This record gives sequence, C-alpha cells and structure tokens, in this order.
Amino acid sequence: MSDLILQAAQAEKTTPLPWLADFQQLQNNTWLRQAVPTRKTEAWRYTPLNRLEKGNFFGAPAQVHECSECLQEQISLPDANGDELDCYRLVFVNGFYAESLSALGELQTGVSLCRFGDANEAQQSAIKTHLGTIANDSVNLFTTLNNSQLQEGVLLSLDDGVVLDKPLRILWLGSAQAVPFSVTQRLLVLMGANSQAMVLEQHLSDDAEQNSFTNGVTELSLGEGAQLHHYRLHQEHESVLHIGGVFADLGKNSLLNSFHLAFGSVLTRIDIVVNHRGQGAHSELSGIYLPRNNQYVDYHTCIEHRVPNCTSNEVFRGIIGDSARAVFNGRIHIHRDAQKTSAKLSNKNLLTSNRAEIDSKPELEIYADDVLCAHGATISQIEDEALHYLRTRGISDQEARVLLSFGFINTLIEKIPHTEIAEYLRPKLAVLFARDPELLRHIV
Amino acid sequence: MLAINNLHAEVEEKQILKGINLDIKPGEVHAIMGPNGSGKSTLGHVLSGREGYEVTQGSVQFGQKDLLEMSIEERAREGLFLAFQYPVEIPGVSNMEFLKASVDAVRAHNELPDLDAVSFMKKARSVCKAVDLDQSFLKRGVNEGFSGGEKKRNEIMQMMLLEPRLAILDETDSGLDIDALQVVAEGVNSLRSPDRSFIVITHYQRLLDYIEPDFVHVLAGGKIVKSGDKSLALELEAKGYAWLAEEVV
Amino acid sequence: MSQEHIDKLIESDYAAGFVTEVESETLPPGLNEDVVRFISGKKNEPQWMLDWRLKAYRAWREMTEPEWAHVDYPPIVFDEISYYSAPKSMADRPQSLDEVDPELIATYNKLGIPLHEQAALAGVAVDVVFDSVSVVTTFKSKLLESGVIFCSMSEAIKDYPELVQKYLGSVVPQKDNFYAALNSAVFSDGSFVYIPKGVRCPMELSTYFRINESNTGQFERTLIIAEEGSHVSYLEGCTAPMRDENQLHAAVVELVVLDNAQIKYSTVQNWYPGNAEGKGGIYNFVTKRGIVHKNARLSWTQVETGSAVTWKYPSCILKGDNSVGEFYSVALTNNYQQADTGTKMIHIGKNTRSTIISKGISAGKSSNVYRGLVRMNPGAEGARNFTQCDSLLIGDKCAAHTFPYIESKHPTAVVEHEATTSKVSDDQLYLCQQRGIDAEKAVSMIVNGFCKEVFKELPMEFAVEAGKLLEVSLEGSVG
Ligand SMILES: Nc1ncnc2c1ncn2[C@@H]1O[C@H](COP(=O)(O)OP(=O)(O)OP(=O)(O)O)[C@@H](O)[C@H]1O
Ligand SMILES: [Mg+2]
Repeated sequence: MSDLILQAAQAEKTTPLPWLADFQQLQNNTWLRQAVPTRKTEAWRYTPLNRLEKGNFFGAPAQVHECSECLQEQISLPDANGDELDCYRLVFVNGFYAESLSALGELQTGVSLCRFGDANEAQQSAIKTHLGTIANDSVNLFTTLNNSQLQEGVLLSLDDGVVLDKPLRILWLGSAQAVPFSVTQRLLVLMGANSQAMVLEQHLSDDAEQNSFTNGVTELSLGEGAQLHHYRLHQEHESVLHIGGVFADLGKNSLLNSFHLAFGSVLTRIDIVVNHRGQGAHSELSGIYLPRNNQYVDYHTCIEHRVPNCTSNEVFRGIIGDSARAVFNGRIHIHRDAQKTSAKLSNKNLLTSNRAEIDSKPELEIYADDVLCAHGATISQIEDEALHYLRTRGISDQEARVLLSFGFINTLIEKIPHTEIAEYLRPKLAVLFARDPELLRHIV
Repeated sequence: MLAINNLHAEVEEKQILKGINLDIKPGEVHAIMGPNGSGKSTLGHVLSGREGYEVTQGSVQFGQKDLLEMSIEERAREGLFLAFQYPVEIPGVSNMEFLKASVDAVRAHNELPDLDAVSFMKKARSVCKAVDLDQSFLKRGVNEGFSGGEKKRNEIMQMMLLEPRLAILDETDSGLDIDALQVVAEGVNSLRSPDRSFIVITHYQRLLDYIEPDFVHVLAGGKIVKSGDKSLALELEAKGYAWLAEEVV
Repeated sequence: MSQEHIDKLIESDYAAGFVTEVESETLPPGLNEDVVRFISGKKNEPQWMLDWRLKAYRAWREMTEPEWAHVDYPPIVFDEISYYSAPKSMADRPQSLDEVDPELIATYNKLGIPLHEQAALAGVAVDVVFDSVSVVTTFKSKLLESGVIFCSMSEAIKDYPELVQKYLGSVVPQKDNFYAALNSAVFSDGSFVYIPKGVRCPMELSTYFRINESNTGQFERTLIIAEEGSHVSYLEGCTAPMRDENQLHAAVVELVVLDNAQIKYSTVQNWYPGNAEGKGGIYNFVTKRGIVHKNARLSWTQVETGSAVTWKYPSCILKGDNSVGEFYSVALTNNYQQADTGTKMIHIGKNTRSTIISKGISAGKSSNVYRGLVRMNPGAEGARNFTQCDSLLIGDKCAAHTFPYIESKHPTAVVEHEATTSKVSDDQLYLCQQRGIDAEKAVSMIVNGFCKEVFKELPMEFAVEAGKLLEVSLEGSVG
C-alpha cells in the first residue's frame, strides 16, 4: 500500500516548474501522510486500486514522443461544414506540450491562455493564487498527488465581460512506451464576471497498450454571471488507468454546463464537485459511461448547494457490457440555509451481460427544509414493448436492440448544444454497440 | 390474402380467442367491432406475432405462407402492418432513423435497393404532410411526448411509408378530433387498391362513414358472432351489443 | 405561519413517561464471561446454549462498534451497563393475569393497554416482556390447538431445544455485527414463534416491550419460524418510561419464512426519545432479518417515532425463487432524535420481488436517514425492485438524508429507485386553515396523508395506534 505513496512521492520530474516548487513541496508532504484508500473507505469502497498499486507507474518518467500517425488522425474534429473546427488548440503528448500539433493564434484582449511551462509572470501569479483552491474541499487524495506531481497544465483566464470567440480544445494524448509511466494533467479556468467560454477536454491515446496511469484534474472558477460550456471526454485506449476530477466554483448567477463521457481506460475514476457559492447559480451536469470488456468506470459526483436560490440538474446514463463494472455515486448536499434550492439527479443504467455489474448510489443530504430535491436511479433492460414495436415495422431484433441501446444514451447526445460535438461523437459511440456496420447504418 | 381458420389463442394462460374464422380477399376492407375486452386487439397482436400471445389451435395463411411460422419482423416485411391502439414512446431513437430503418428492412426483403437519403427524406416529408404532422415530428424521438392523436397519425404515416399488403388498424380513430379522423381516413383511402386489404378495428360507426368497409364483423367473447355488410355497423350503433348475445345464445 | 409556531406544534410530551415501582433483581454493571454464565445459569439453560452465548461473547470482544451510520452520540461504556434484571416475582411465574403484580397491570393500563380486555377483544395473544423476562402469556392454549407455538425464548430453549438449535443464529449469526454479537451473548429473553406446515395462525401475535430499570440494557431475541405454506402476522410494539440516563437496546429478530409461507412483521416503536434538549432517551441498535424461501413472502412494516438514536435495517434475504420482500416504514424524528434506518433487499433467487416504501419525517433539530441496500445477485434472473423514499422536513434546523446502495449483477434484473423531499408548505397549511382546520390538526393531517401508503399496510389495531402515535408526537401546545 504505502509503496504506492512513496514511489509516487519520489517520482522524478523531467521539466519541473521552479516557480511552483514551494506549493508542490507542501502538497508532496500532504500526499506522504495519506493512506491509500481501502474497501472500507466509503468513497472508494467499489474502486479497485490493485492495478495502480501493482503497475509500477512511477518508476520511470514519461518520454517525449514523436506523434504517431494514429494520434494525428485522432486530433481532427470537423465543424458543421466538414472543415476542421476553428478553435484554440493545445495538444499534449504524454504530458509534454506538442507545439507542432497545437494552434493558439492571436488571442483577444482580456484573454489569457497559456500552458504552465510558458506562463509569464502575471500568469504564474494567477496560477499560484488559484491552483488547488477549487479542488480544495475534495476528498480525492489523487488531487493532492496531481498538485505535487504536475509539470504542465493549461491556464485560461478571462477578464470580466469577455466572450471567448472560439472554443478552447485541449487534447491530452497518450503514446505508448515500453516501461510503465504516469502522466499528470491539469487545467485551470478562471472566468471573470459575465465572461463566456466553451472548453473541450479530450483524453485520447494511440491504439496500443499504454501501460500508463493518468491523473487529470480540472479546476473551474466561474465569476458572477459567467457561463461555461465544458466537455470532458475520456476516449483513451482500454489499457489506460485514469483517476481524475473536475472541481467547479460557481459565482452568483453563473451557469455551468458540463458534459462527461467515458468509454476508454481500464480504470476510470472521476470525481466531480460543483460548488454553488453564489445565489442564482445553475449547473447542468450530464454524462455517459459505456464500459465493456473488463473496464471499470466510476463517477463520483457531488453537487454542493452552499447558498440559497440555486438550481442544479444532473443526468448520467450508462450501458455496461461484458465483464465491465460501473459505479455511479451522485450526491446532492444542501447546506443549512441553502433555502429555495432545486436539485435533481437521474441515473439510468442498462446491463447487457450477465457478468457486468453496476453499483449506483444516489445520495441526498439535506439540511434545509424549503427545497425541492429529487433523485432517481434505475437499472433495467431494453424495454420489451419498444423492441416489439420496432420489429413489427420489419426491423430485425438485432438492429432494434442496437437502435434502442443507442437511443438510451442518444437522449443525452441530442441535448449537447454544440452540434459538431454531437456529430463527432455519434459514430464514435455507435461502433461500441455493434461490430457489424449494417446494424449501425441508421444511427450514424 | 389472409385466411384465419379456427384460431385459438391465449395470453398468460387465459384463453382469449376461441375459434376465429375470417377470410380476407385482396382489396377488401373488413371492419371488426365488439365490446371492450372481447379480443380485438388480441387478434391484431396474434397476427403480428407479439410475444406472450400463444396460438393454441388453428391456422393463419398469409398469401402463400403460413403466417404463424414467421417471426414478427418477417411478417412485417411480408407486408403485414399493425397500427397500434397504444403506440409506445421510444426516447432517443428519432422518428426519422426509425422510419428509415424500417423502410430499408422491408425493401431489402423485397430485394429492392435502399432508398438514398434524399429520396427517403422527400417521401418521409410528403407522408408527414399527408397526415398533417409538422416536419419537426420526424426529428423527435419515436412517439416521444406525442399527444394521443399525434401518435395515431404517426402510425398512419408509417403505414403510408411502408405500403403494406395488409394493414390492421386497431382503434386508430379513438382519441382523434374530426379533422384528424378525416386525415386518417384519407390516408387509408389513398392506399386502397385491388391488391391491398385492411382490417379496421373500431368502436364507432363514424369511421366507417369515411372508410367504407366491405364487411363488418362483431367479435364477442373471442369469437366472431356476427358478420354482415356495412349496415351491420349502423345496427350496432343503434342497438349496442346486448341483442347479439341473446341471438348467439 | 411562523417557524416558531410550527416548532410548537411538533413539540410533544412523552405520553408514556412514568416509572413503575416494581422491585427488580439487577446484576451489577459490567460484562465478562461470568456475566454471560450468570445469565445463562439464572435461566437454567442447557450447556449448548451457554456455549453459544460464550462463542458470541468472545467474538464480540474482538469487534468494534460500527461507525458508518449517520448518527452521533457519546461513546457507550459497555462496562457501565447492567446486563440482567428480572422482576422479583419471577420465581413463581403467574399463571393468569390475576396473579400478575398489580403494579405491572397498572402500568399497562396507564399505557392504554388493558391486557385481558384488549387481548380478548382484538383476538390478540400478548406475550408481555417486562424488562428482561417474560411475565405472562395469554392465549397460549388456544394457539397450541392449531399447533402454533408462541412462548418466551427461555421457555423455547427448554421445551423446543431442537427448533431453537436449528434456527437460532441461522439468519443473524452471532458474529453478524457488533450489536448482534452483544445480543447473542447476553440476550435476556424474547419471543419464540413456530407455525407448523400449512397452518394459518388463528390470530395476530403481539408483544409489548418495555424498558424500565435505569441503566439496564435490554437485549431481546425474537425467533419466528413459518413452516411451508403457513401464515402469521406478528405485531411488536414498545413504549418506555421517562428516564434521564441513556439506555441501550440491542435486539435481534430472526425470521425464517419457508416455502410458500408468509410472515407479516409490524412494529410500532415508541421508546423514550429523550427530552426537548436531547437529554436521555433510548439507544436502539437493532438487527432484524428474515430469510425468505421459494414463493414465500416477508413483509416488514414499521412506525418509528421513539428512541434518541435508532440504527435499524429490517432486511430480507430473498433466497427462494419467486420470493417477495416488502418494507414499509414511517420514521419520525423530533428535537435531537437521530434515526438511521432502512432496509436491505438481497435478491438471490429468480423472479424475486421487493418493494420499499420509506417515509421520513424530520422536525426540530433531528436527523433522519434512510439507508438501504438493494442487491441483485448473479442468479437473480428477472428480479424486480421498486423503491420510493420520501422525506418531509418540518422546520429549517432538521436534516433528512437518503443513502441508497443499488447493486446489480444480473442483466434481466430491474431496479427502480426514487427519492424526493418536501416540506409542509405554507400553502397547504393556509388551505387547511381557510377551511377551518386548526394548524395543529392540519400538520397532523398532512403528515398522516404523507404516511398513508405505509399505514395501510399495518394491521387494523396497529393502524389506529400508529395514527395516534404520530398525532401525539406532533401534539403541541396549540389550543
Ligand atoms: N397480457 C395480458 N394478460 C392478461 N390478460 C390480458 C392480457 N392482454 C389482454 N388480456 C385480456 O384479454 C381480453 C381481450 O383483450 P383485448 O385487448 O384483445 O380486448 P379488445 O377487444 O381490444 O378491447 P378494447 O375494445 O377495450 O380495446 C381482455 O379481457 C384483456 O384483459
Ligand atoms: Mg383493443
């Protein structure tokens, strides 16, 4: 157990950030005092960490790689006209910035966007001020590890009233290497009052055994009236281990719309904490998980209503196949005095194999009376009646099942406000439902 | 077209159809009326092959084929269409992709090539218009949030798109306003042809004013207790079903 | 309507708060093997029973108190608790009610339980447990005619040792959990019920529990065996006199529901909840569980209004194919009460069904938790669960929590869970008042309406009692 703690603490940094050394030293000390969670640790009761403990991921540093063709292909994201999406793009391979693949271009005034390794003095100071403060309340000890291990990251900071003119796309790419390695990823978004942005985070890798552990932490701070559309898509190779989190602070009347997807990684554990800190804030959280084979996906979400008059809506859906296992933990926490809160959560699951497993734990923790809270969780199968209806229209049983399973998650894809992302995802997701393209032709 | 011979069927070990005999020739329209719970929908489900409806006796010939040997989708592809009394909602599956999948499946069965996207869209739009539904219904989930009347029109739209040989309409008229009733009737009438037959299940004579049946049958207690021409429907409207029960006894 | 006003409405005086002066024989505080031997010896138990207790005691010594529950109370010093007390008159046990200590009868009367009348009128056989020893059993002979055994656990150990040996601990093993182990070591007495094959128990069986001695642990042990095709409805109710010191109650209830049998187990729990400042009250740590075999049905219904701290999860192990488990619960907490209660439905057999309806009402500064587990095992083909958990909050100082655990390992199993929270709204109160109903009555009506789904599962006599209980709990100084 403690081997992991020690190894990780002593992992060598190839490109340290000297200006962050003090912070990282402190974090490392905290990490050293941690105990690796066990089955008895409530928040980790289902999560198997043995792969992480046995994987020796901290023995050797990640290497800088030439970007493989496979990876280059994955970078493409077409817009509605089929052209490459016009966006700010930052690409990292195994944690190292890949300048040739990135596209920053001219920035608007009031926009500060950089990678940590390039941060100027003002940016360094912004990072030092805010880094780790939003993820502060988290129980996820791996955030501490991220704090102490990070060597790169992305900062997006918007002045008051700035509307970011293009989406920001961050690609965290993994490229296979012979020895096990770990990658630390970090994103810090600081939004001034009434600013607006769209941020797309993608976790991708080339098509080979990765042998890697990825720790990706995102911190989002929304000032008064700010609006953020955020996507975090886990599309890595099935051999990756990924533990990470998204932590958001919502100011007065701000709006966060955060979409999550996981179908990569053998182990995905994502903690999402949304803090409603200013009255009138609203959050929309949605997610899809599609583990197959022997994958394990675990979303731990926590919606913190700390002040009155906020609303939140959360919808997660999953389809679990083969010997895969999914865990969904959705907590709604209404603090004392957070009156007039409205909080809703829905989690629906389909099991498609008799070796698959789902553990769902929606939680309500309520300390205020004048609130409207509800959660629902279901585990079910494809509805017989719907299946029958499709078959009476001549659609084969097999295709009907594909249509209906896909439909089960498509209800969330349909709600994605950026159609180019919905269109990009649809075929990528469809192939998970059937190998025979004949069965997919009506959904892509 | 369809020959039903001494058909017995049960649901959850409960005998519901108790010897149905019915012969439907190409081009004919047969109306089936009868009290609630008499087995009308059951007949439709048995013909379409719904799971859980077990045929215990009798046979059904559809064209040259034994209907009961076929799977649900085979029957549909062979040209049997059932417009449901209670169409199910399927969120997440758009009406459009559903219709395309259905049309492609039926065409493939008849060894016709897939319609290209543009021709299909054209056709879909035109039938959509024909049943007086807004084009946006094509993009919505199948029946998702549709009103009762919209669901029924969606059924007729599918029928028009699939052009079946035999269409069974199960109370497609209930829950429709007068205008919608006409829309549905027009849809049906536009498809009437010498090689296409209809079974129209209804409680109301009114529909039969619009869709003129060649025969009217009364189904009661799992049997056809009386058959006649369209005047029988008028008689039923006036007298109800009670007198039939006496007559049968 | 002001908050204060509502607060007043929900304040309640404990109607059953008085102390009976019956001389008791009480063991000095503390727990060790000698105490276990003493208890066993006092009851003239056979060696196997003593061995069973000692095994439990040794296991308990190695265990630690569970900490996962959402409750907060000062540590219990197990050496300051006395583990045995019995009414003096026990030596010659009364054969009829006339022989019962009049003091005792008076106590029941104060509680509104005129024993012989009620029993006779309602056709209820009452096995009264006063402190730790069964004092009187009525209707025993009538039950025996149909082969039903209904007696105290002590008697069962003597008279039906094979049955006890076969089933005791078969549902809740000695080492099951900290409190179950403690109970197994020192259980004082409790009820034993055996319904033979195919027999429908001719009357509802009922027990009233009371805690009386201060600083006395109460460790009831109940075992009910419903043989194949039999039916029984069992009612358990309790109420306790006002005391300052916290009292520990750790009961174990084991139910065995064999093929095609049915057990309906209903509880009204009204132990002393402590005063408005949170002083005193019972600590109620209960393990209740049943094993449900093929085509059998187990139904738990509970109305929990008492105790300072409650920790209780009546559970169903749905082992047999087509077996059914049900849990209907109303839990009301007020002042400083804390309840962490719910159920576990473990689906093992095919086509097993379970229903959970939980209604939590929190008022004052109390905390009310629903904690439930629904597990679909790999063999639970076609299994179904439906869960509905609703919380009603009265006032802005209380807390209501819902912690369901849903685990499924079978693709054809279907689980549906829903939870909501609401409050008694000003609009509802206004409407009632506008129709001439006073605020106190209105709150009580709304709360009763909120609980309706559960109350309708209670046997008639109990439904009345439960309604009364809620009303008492909601009774205030208005009017
Ligand atoms: N799944 C089922 N399980 C049990 N009984 C069923 C089932 N489906 C149908 N039935 C029963 O079979 C009988 C015939 O039902 P059916 O739906 O065919 O009647 P109907 O003639 O269509 O009535 P309506 O005019 O009301 O539509 C009814 O008594 C009905 O309750
Ligand atoms: Mg019908």
